[in-house]
This record gives sequence, structure tokens and C-alpha cells, in this order.
Amino acid sequence: MSVPAVEVRNLTKVFPLSLRKEYLVAVEDLSLTVNAGEVYGLIGPNGSGKSTTMKVVLGLMAPTTGSTKVFGIESRDVRSRNQIGFLPENPYFYKHLTAWETLKFYGKLCGMRGKELKDRAGELLALVDLEGARDRRLSGYSKGMLQRIGLAQALIQRPKLVVLDEPTAGVDPIGSRQIRDLIFKLKDDGISVFLCSHLLEQVQEVCDQVGIIANGRMWREGSLHDLIAIEDQTELVLRDASPELLDKIKALIESEAGGCAELIRSGHPRTTLETLFLDIVRESREAQDLKDREKLAAKEAKKQKPSSK
Amino acid sequence: MSDSVETLPRVPLFSPGRIWVLASSTFTQLVRMRTFYFLIVFAILVAAASNLDLLYTPAQKLRILKDASFGAMSIFSWLFAIAATAVLIPRDLEDRTLYTILSKPVPRLEYLLGKLGGVMLTIGVALVVMQVLFTGFLFFREVTVLASERQYLESQGEMSAADIQVQLDLIRAQGVQWQLLYALVAIFLKASVVAALTMLVSTFASSTLFTMIVSSIVFMVGHFHKLAAGYWLEEFGDSLFTKLIIKPIVMIIPDFRVFNVAENVVGGEPVSAAIMLSLTGLAALYVAVYSAVALYLFIDKEF
Repeated sequence: MSVPAVEVRNLTKVFPLSLRKEYLVAVEDLSLTVNAGEVYGLIGPNGSGKSTTMKVVLGLMAPTTGSTKVFGIESRDVRSRNQIGFLPENPYFYKHLTAWETLKFYGKLCGMRGKELKDRAGELLALVDLEGARDRRLSGYSKGMLQRIGLAQALIQRPKLVVLDEPTAGVDPIGSRQIRDLIFKLKDDGISVFLCSHLLEQVQEVCDQVGIIANGRMWREGSLHDLIAIEDQTELVLRDASPELLDKIKALIESEAGGCAELIRSGHPRTTLETLFLDIVRESREAQDLKDREKLAAKEAKKQKPSSK
Repeated sequence: MSDSVETLPRVPLFSPGRIWVLASSTFTQLVRMRTFYFLIVFAILVAAASNLDLLYTPAQKLRILKDASFGAMSIFSWLFAIAATAVLIPRDLEDRTLYTILSKPVPRLEYLLGKLGGVMLTIGVALVVMQVLFTGFLFFREVTVLASERQYLESQGEMSAADIQVQLDLIRAQGVQWQLLYALVAIFLKASVVAALTMLVSTFASSTLFTMIVSSIVFMVGHFHKLAAGYWLEEFGDSLFTKLIIKPIVMIIPDFRVFNVAENVVGGEPVSAAIMLSLTGLAALYVAVYSAVALYLFIDKEF
């Protein structure tokens, strides 16, 4: 039987508040399991205990009671971190290092050396589309670029579990889409992903399992399919339906269902703003590419004219 | 399918390689913060001191050059040890770089030793560069001073060749000698203790400013607490205050004056290898104790 990637059992984390003998219960009796190869999304409002749970899983904090294990090893045991890649929210890294140096630094911390490290760093820079900026210092990177180099450093030692804290915070829709695609790729490669976010749309897109946390307690947990399904409703999406056909369907529902069923809504399905934005950007890029190609072709033709004489 | 616990790769509990990675990264960080610009100031200072042509004897001219150079090296090293060490850990925490490092298989002891090692490496490299610069200036100055003094004494015709040689040897005693290296090592040892002390303070301090102020105060106290304790014991005897406050302070804070080997070297007093060995042992002991306490405070620290 496979060992779960993350196993949190009855976790409670309490913080003392200054010297007033008052306490803040950040997480209370929380349990969750991230199975191997699964994308798990922990969602909740700000201050709900998501980051605290993540930090306990990473061994950055000790649980007050309960336990957290990564592939069967207690989180406080340094060996558990060999299998983890972590991307914090809004990471900065060492600004004095270039992307290449950053990946080599984190790789060396994981015991990688020589050709293995160089090949892996090159592979990851290509994966996160930063090959062109590999020798630029991170002080000159945009937020989206930092997020992508952050993801690359998280993957440097080929971890079996990737922990992402708000991976698209402050990133534009294109960067957000790239990170989403990378999460899909990780999933295809069998890597478990433990994701914290309050962007529901993003979680809905990528996660297999979802946990909803509020005030330090787990309120709902299960597969995304089960959680978001509205059992007593059925959605029909038609293409090129004429008004006559729609009238027929309405009439059929009214007559066949004997008054038990009702048509709640019908209309054209809408795209999201993000998709629309990405389509426009893609379209404009294609138009620009075409223009560039035409210019290049005209230049080439001009060059060839004198030689053909 | 996931790995079972048994098949997971082993992580060495202590890896000098990882400490070196952290230390060299810290060194790069400090160098790219343009720390070594201080060397330009130092070179100007040494050049000025070596060209100072006041009404001094030739030996005094060399002595002034050594005094100014060792003084600047000493100030740079302890000031840098406090400022650089105080900034490193809080900055890593503020930028969340600490999270990404500690979420890799890096024990906290290695992180602390790597940071401390990086500061010590930077101070060491800077001191060596300064020493080379200063020794070069001193050697050039020694050669020119000896030549002019020999010429002067011979032109006077009042001294025998043997007497002239004695006079020149007195000047040489203030020139380039192996003992200069002892002064360099002592300055480095003192800075290392200061860096370890600052790292200890930074593990519980609430801000960088607090770390800098506390470390500076402790550093200053370390220059006179032995004298103060001696006076107190003589005046008030072995009281409860002495037992609870004075004696622990004397034990916890090193007597930084013992590292002032440069004063002896400048004064022409010989320093034995045995003294240097005991100084190294003392510094290593303080660095080890401060690092151990820092680790004790840092190991369960929550971020």
C-alpha cells in the first residue's frame, strides 16, 4: 500500500499572545490526507490557518498537539524535507544571485553536484520559461518571474511532494496560467501537490481533493467532483440551438415531468474574463508574429534582388 | 506509487558540504553588497600614512604606518562582524528565503554555521587583502627609509660600520616581520568571537537595530569588565552582587583586550607562538559556546 504524501492527524496549533496569558488557536484538531500523486487544495479566508498548517507540514513550526507526516516521516525530521519542494507566498530569494546561481544554490543544498545539477537547472529554466533571463540577477525580476524561479527551485531535487502557498498571488493572468499548466504537468508526472489558496477558481481547475478551512477548523473535505456537484440539477449545453428547438424542450419538460421538474435557466454559456483576456493576448501575439514574418520576408526579398541580377 | 519510508534517500545529519554552500553564498552576498569598497578607503589611508613625513625618526615612521593599518583593520573587522551578522538572519526571514532553505534537507545547525562561516570568510579575505596591501607599503617604506638613513649616517662619518648596522637593525625591527601575521590572526580571532556573539543575539532579538546595539554594548563591556570586576572585588569583596552579576558577566563576555596583539607587535614586543595558540583556543571556545547557545534558541524557533 502506498504511503500518503501528507498525513495530518488531529493537529492543533496554539500561539501565546505576548505576556497576557492569552492564546490564539490558529489550527484546531485538523486532520487531512494528501495521497500520492494527488493535487490537494486547502482553501479558506485569510487567517484561517492555511499557512500555519503548511508550516507545520514543512517542519518550520512544531504542532502543539497532533502529528504531521510526510511520506511516513515526522515533519520535524530533516529527512522528510528531502522529498519536499516548497514555494512560499511572494518569494524573494537572494537578490544578488542570478536564476542560474539560485538553482545551483538550492540544488547543492539538496546534495546535487556537477553535471546532474547543471542538467537539472537547465531543464527547469526551460520548464519555467526563464532561459533568456538565466544570467540576470533576481533583483531585476518581476513578480511573475520570481514566482516561476521559485517553482523551479522547489522542483530542483525532483521532490515527490510540492507545497505551494498562494502560488499565483500577485501574478498576472498569463503567469497564472503558466503556473496552472505546470501544476498539471506535475500531476501528470505523478508528483503530489499540496496547494494553499483563496482563489477558488484556480483550486477548482487543478485540484482533485479540496479541504475548506475556516477559523482553524476543517469544515468540508472531499473530492472536488463531490463537493461542487448540485445533485438535484442537470445542465444541458447546446450548440446552435434554434428558438423553436428551445421552445420544444421547454414544452417537453413541462409535459413529461408532470410538474415535478422545472427549467431554471437556459442561455449561452459564458467564458471567463481570464480566458477572454488570454485569447485576446494570444490573438494579438499571433498578429504581431505574422507582421514580423512579413517584414522579414520583405527584407529577404530585397536582399535577394541585387544578387539575382 | 509513492516511496515507502525505507526507500527514501538518506540525509546526512551533518554535512560540511552544505555548510560550505551556505557560507560561500553568504560570502557572495556580502561581496555583492560592495563591502570590499572599504579596501579603497584602507589603501588611501595606508598610502597617506606611509607618506607622512613629519619630524619623526625613521623607526617611528614605520611604527605609525603599522599602527594606522592595524587600527583600521581592527575597526573594520569588528564593525563588519556586528553589522553583517546582525543583518543576515533577519533579512532571510523578511524575504522568506529562510523558508525555502529550511524546507530543504538543511538542519538548522548547518544554516547557522553556514551564515557565521560566510561572515568569517568575508572578514578573513578582507583582512588578508588589507595585510598584503599594508605589508607592501611597509616593505617599500622600509627599503627607502633604510637607504636614506644609511646614506645619512655614512655621510656624517661619526659612526663605525658596526654602529651604523645597529642603528639600521633598530629600524628593521619596525619593518616587515613574521610577527605581523600574529597581529592579523589576533584581529581575525577577535572579529570571529564578535560575529558569533552577534549571531547569538540575533537569534532572540526582535530587530536588527536591537542586535547591533546589544552586540556593540557587549563588545565595549568586554574591553573593561575585567578591570571593573577587579575594582569591585577589591572594594566590596565577595558579595551576593558579585556572585550573581559580576562573576557571570566576566565569564560570559570574553576579555577582548587579550586579542590586542597588534599593540605588542607595533611596540616591537615579541609575541610567542604559545600565546597565539592559547588565544586561538580561547576564541574557538567562545565561538563554540556562543554557537551552541544560538542553536539552542534557534532550533525550536517558529517562523
